[in-house]
This record gives sequence, structure tokens and C-alpha cells, in this order.
Amino acid sequence: MSNSVISVISRFLEEYASSTPNKLKVIDAYLLYIMMTGALQFLYCLLVGTFPFNSFLSGFISCVGSFILAVCLRIQINPQNKGEFLSISPERAFADFQFAHTVLHLVVINFIG
Amino acid sequence: MAHLCLFSLLVLSMVLKTQALTPTHHLTTTDVARLQAVLSQPFTDLKSAYYSVVGLSKLGILVADADETCQFIKSNLDPSSVESLFYAAEASQALSGCEIPVSNDTRDLLLATVSEDSTASQIHQSVSALSSLGLPLASQEVVSALKARISKEDNVLTIILALQTASRLSQQAELGDILEEIEDLAARLDDLSGVYLQFEEGLEATALFVSAAYALSDHVDMEPPLKEDQVIQLVNSIFSKKSWDSLSEAFSVASAAESLSNNRFHVPVIVSAQGPAAISHSQPFLRLQVTDVLCQPLSSASVLVESASTSTSKSAILSQAPFTLREEVFELNFMASQPASGYYQFSVAIAGDSRFVANHVELKVKVSTRVAINNMDLSVVDKDQSIGPKTTRVEYPTKAKASFMADSHQNFAMTFQLVDETTGVELTPHQTFVRLHNQKTGQEVVFVAEPDSKNLYKFELDTTERKTEFDSISGTYALYLMMGDATLENPILWNVADVVLKFLDEETPSTIQAKTLYTPKPEIQHLFREPEKKPPTVVSNAFTALVLSPFLLLLILWFKLGANISNFTLSPCTILFHIGHAAMLGLMYVYWTHLNMFQTMKYLAIIGSLTFLAGNRMLAQKAVKS
Repeated sequence: MSNSVISVISRFLEEYASSTPNKLKVIDAYLLYIMMTGALQFLYCLLVGTFPFNSFLSGFISCVGSFILAVCLRIQINPQNKGEFLSISPERAFADFQFAHTVLHLVVINFIG
Repeated sequence: MAHLCLFSLLVLSMVLKTQALTPTHHLTTTDVARLQAVLSQPFTDLKSAYYSVVGLSKLGILVADADETCQFIKSNLDPSSVESLFYAAEASQALSGCEIPVSNDTRDLLLATVSEDSTASQIHQSVSALSSLGLPLASQEVVSALKARISKEDNVLTIILALQTASRLSQQAELGDILEEIEDLAARLDDLSGVYLQFEEGLEATALFVSAAYALSDHVDMEPPLKEDQVIQLVNSIFSKKSWDSLSEAFSVASAAESLSNNRFHVPVIVSAQGPAAISHSQPFLRLQVTDVLCQPLSSASVLVESASTSTSKSAILSQAPFTLREEVFELNFMASQPASGYYQFSVAIAGDSRFVANHVELKVKVSTRVAINNMDLSVVDKDQSIGPKTTRVEYPTKAKASFMADSHQNFAMTFQLVDETTGVELTPHQTFVRLHNQKTGQEVVFVAEPDSKNLYKFELDTTERKTEFDSISGTYALYLMMGDATLENPILWNVADVVLKFLDEETPSTIQAKTLYTPKPEIQHLFREPEKKPPTVVSNAFTALVLSPFLLLLILWFKLGANISNFTLSPCTILFHIGHAAMLGLMYVYWTHLNMFQTMKYLAIIGSLTFLAGNRMLAQKAVKS
């Protein structure tokens, strides 16, 4: 059982390394970074306590929000999805990503206290 | 149908009759004396002299030094002024033997004032002056001038002055139209809660209206169109004020009082009891004072009790009993009918003159009596009633010689009867209390003694049942009987006996503590909100470093992937975009530390729009390139 899981995972990693364009890998690295930051924040909250709660929320929401926006960017940039995003060029996707981040950061900084 | 109408009319008239008004406000003798004092003040000018002299004559009082007053009037007279002539003429008329010299010019001046162009006050003054000085005047001309004046100025004071003027004219003149004004004016009076009737112009106007209306009605010998209730309401309004602001106000009240006591049609009657309306054996006469509004006794009246009944029952004790007049006071010996003590409702009628108004009065009379206590029996009864009770009789006001002992097995009992001293009728006063007073501790407990169906009062003390009231403190208690009522002349406080009470389970505190209701309470300390426990700085710092560490990982990964900035074009919009972007991130940091949302939005709008434009340009260029 575990054998098949391991083989599936290794196969997946191979596919990933070969067929994914570099741009997407850059974004994936960024996604991993965001996820780890969020997870570590959550770990802190579990271990030490929720004081100050607003700061924890703001930091966590920032991670979550950034992750979502980055995923959106990745989807929109992916050449394989070009058919679905005819009117949105990658530059446009990046501009949207920037703008959404501005709003997100404004809210996060407001809440961080 | 006609029968129904007649019947309803009869019922209505009966209902109305039972609700006839009686004056609630009237002048007492002290008020009349005060009015006289106000009018007797030394006068400074002709106007005040007029008010004083004429006002006092209305009250039936002659001025002390008539000659001096006459000289004063003559010296202050200004023959070229109608007003001055009016005051002088009226005042000299009130004084005996005072003649004002009149010249032809004066007469011509006064006659010329009687025209449509003069004010109502000027017409009134000239007509009164002419009449008082005995000069002839043309009544019909005056009437037409007044009518013209009334149609031009429709206010209350003008019409009142017209009424006053008309009462000085010859009786042959056509005064019908002016007489009708009384009714119109009466309709303009304001009814205040059914008790007062007055003009909104005030007390003076109302009082002047009354004197003018009655003066004119007497002059033409026609009853004024004022109903009895209206007359009483006017009396209430005019005589409710007992101190007057000005001489003219006092004068108007005096003339109103004089006209209400001396006219041919309506004379309001004031009935008041002399002292409290209370009768007892020592004071068997009910005394009533029957006067007119000037507090002058109406000796010609005959006063009759139509019915006297108790407040509860409707049966009349007295019916149609006359009062006898003695020294200007009407009295009736009510005790002769041997009434039981209590309150009685008297309905009194005053007859003797058809002019009397408000001559049916309802009075509440109290009959008091003295009470005697009979058959006061004290006993100590055993609870299981195995031993018969020992009864001791005590006579008022002595005290029982031996004290009574009662403990948990016994009850203490007391019975007595309360009777009227003279008639022997049983009484039930409002307050019959039994008070037990502990002499040592000062504690007292009060109980109520209740009568049974045969009006025999009983009081029983069960020591076990009542131990909470006594706080279970044993000892000698002095027993008092307290009795009182509004109709009793001799309230009683009688120390009947001493009772020694023994309580079981004596759980008494050693001293009686006064109720701690009003001592200061313990202070409440305010607890401020405790700040939350923070983790030690080491832990926080460690985790901060930990959270920031993935950034290093990111840089390493990007480096491995070969991400670079080799495509960085140095065009102005690119540089501007990156600077703008950096500025926005910097603004975020400044927002966290210094700014509030509004300031941030302001800066963000500026920087953001710049960055947007630059970025747009940059991305467009990039798109073109690729």
C-alpha cells in the first residue's frame, strides 16, 4: 500500500520537475513560503496562546489571502489555461495581483494593532 | 313621546338641582378689612383720591376728614382735562358737602367730548362727570355715540365702559341695544374647570363687568341674563385673590362686591360654620354665619335644615328644622336630637329673599362623644384548658395590682367593651391598639384588638406564636391600651397591667442591636482588569525568528530555480513603478506605526495612482516586447 503511495508521489514529482514552466515553479516556491509562514504562526498560537488575538488573526489572514491571490495568479498565467482566460493577459493578471495585494495589506495593517 | 320628554326633563332638572354650585372663594372679614386698608392709603394725586374715596364709599365707609379731602380735590383739579373733571366729580359726589365749581367752559368741554370720535373711556368720563355735577345731558346722543364706539372697537373694556355710561343716562333713552351687550359679553367669559368664570383680560375687567352689568340692570329694572351658576363662578373668580396689586384693582373688587350685595336681582349668599362644624355634649349648638359677599350678615334670612343624615345611611335624623338667630349667628341645637357619634351630611336652605343665589348648601358636620371602657377582663388561660381561667377585672384608669404570668403553656387574654359615655351605645373606634413595652430593653410591640360580631373587643397573646415579634426576650412588659378616633373627645392611653412573659429557647443576643440599616456598608474595592499574561520575551523572539525563516528558504529556492532580474529594463516607467511599489510598502509600515486610516488612504491614493499609471505603461511595454 505505502509502496504505491510512494511511487505515485515520486512519479508526480518527476512530472512536476520536467513539465512545469519555470515561471510557475517560481510562483510555487512563493506559495510554499507563504504556507510555511502561516503554519508557523498557527503553531505559535497553539503552543503559547492567542494573546494578542487580533495580531494573530491579521497575520494568519495575510498568509491565507496572499496564498489565494498567488494561486489565482498561477492559474491565470499558466499557458495551458490560456483558453479560459482569453481576455486576461499575464500582465493584466499580474496587475490584478498587485492591486488585490494592496487592498489586502491595507486591511491587514489596519487590523494588526 | 311627550310623556318621555317630560319625564326626561324632570329627571334632568332634578339632577341639575342637586348639583347647584356654592361659592368656594369668598371674602372673610379679615379680607374686607384688608381691602379697606388698601383703599385708605393716603392719596398722592386726583386719580388715587378718586379710587380711595369712591372705593370706600362702596364698602359703606365714610372718609375720615372729608373737608381736607375736598380741598385736596379742588386744588388738584384741572378744568381743561375731562379725566380730571371725572375723578373730581365722582369723588366729590361720594363726600358729603363737597361742591366743585363748574364754569360754562367746563360744561361745554364735557358736552363736546360726547361724540363718536372720542374713546369710550372719554365718553364714560364726561357723561359721569356731567351726571355727578348735576348738568344736563342729551341721553340719545350719548347712546348713538356709544353704539358707534362699540361697533368700531369691539373689545371687552369698551363695552364695559359703555354699560357703565348707560347706567347714568335717563331711563327714557333707548338702552335696549346696550342692554343686549351684557349677554354677548357674558358669552365671552372663560369657564375654568366649572369653578371660575373670568375674562382673559383679568380680574379687574371681570369685576368691572359685574358692577357695570348690575348697575345697568338695576337702572332699567331688567334681570341680567346671568344664570345662578354663572354668578357663583364670577364670585369665585373675583374674590379668589386676597391681596391686590394696584389701587384700581382693589377699587374694582370693592365695586363688584357692593353691586353683588346690593342689587335688585341676584344676591349670592355665603354660608360658613363658625369654627369647626363639630358638635359634642359640651358644645351642642351648630353655629352658622350667613352673609353676603361683603361679609354683612343677612338678618332677614331664615335658615332651615332640609335634611340631616349620616354619611352611610340615607335615613334623615332631622327634617325641616329651623335655625334660630342669635347675635347675627344662626344656631341649632343638634344634640337635642340625640345623634350617635359620627359624620352627618346636612342640607341647609336659606330663604327669605327671592334674590338669594346659592342658597342651598351641603355641610359635613361631625358629632363627637366621650368613650367609656366597660368590663375590662384580663385572664391567663392554659393552652390545654385543664385549669380554668382566672379572670381579673380592672377599672379604668387604675392598674391591675398583680402582674400576670404567661409562659409557653399559657395564653394571655383580654376582653373589654367600648361604649358611649352618655348613651351607652357600643362604639368601634378606628384605632384600638394593645402595646407591650419592655421597660428594661425599651422594646415595644403593638397589636390590634378586634371586635367580634357583638362589638366585644378581644385580644389574645399566644407566647409561642408571637415570639418572633418579641425577639424571644423574656421579661416584664407593661401593657397599655391605646384608643383613638376622629369622633372621640377623649383618646385613651391606659396602663392596664404588667405581664411577665417567658419564652422558650432564649436565643436572644445579649444586647439589642439597633437595626443596621443606616450604618455605612463595607467598602467595595474596585478591581481593575488584570492585563493578560504574556509569554516570556525569549519565546516571542524565538518564534519571530522562526516565522521569518521561510523567507530565506524562498530566496534559496528562487536562486536554485534560476529566477533573476536580467530582463530589467531601465525605462522611466519601470523605475517609477518600482519606486512607487516600494513607497506603498513603506506607507504600510508608517500606517502601522503613526498614521490612521484616513491619512493612509490619502497618501495611498496619490502613490497608488502614480504606481498604477507607471505599472500600466511598464506592463504594456512588456506585452509589446513579448
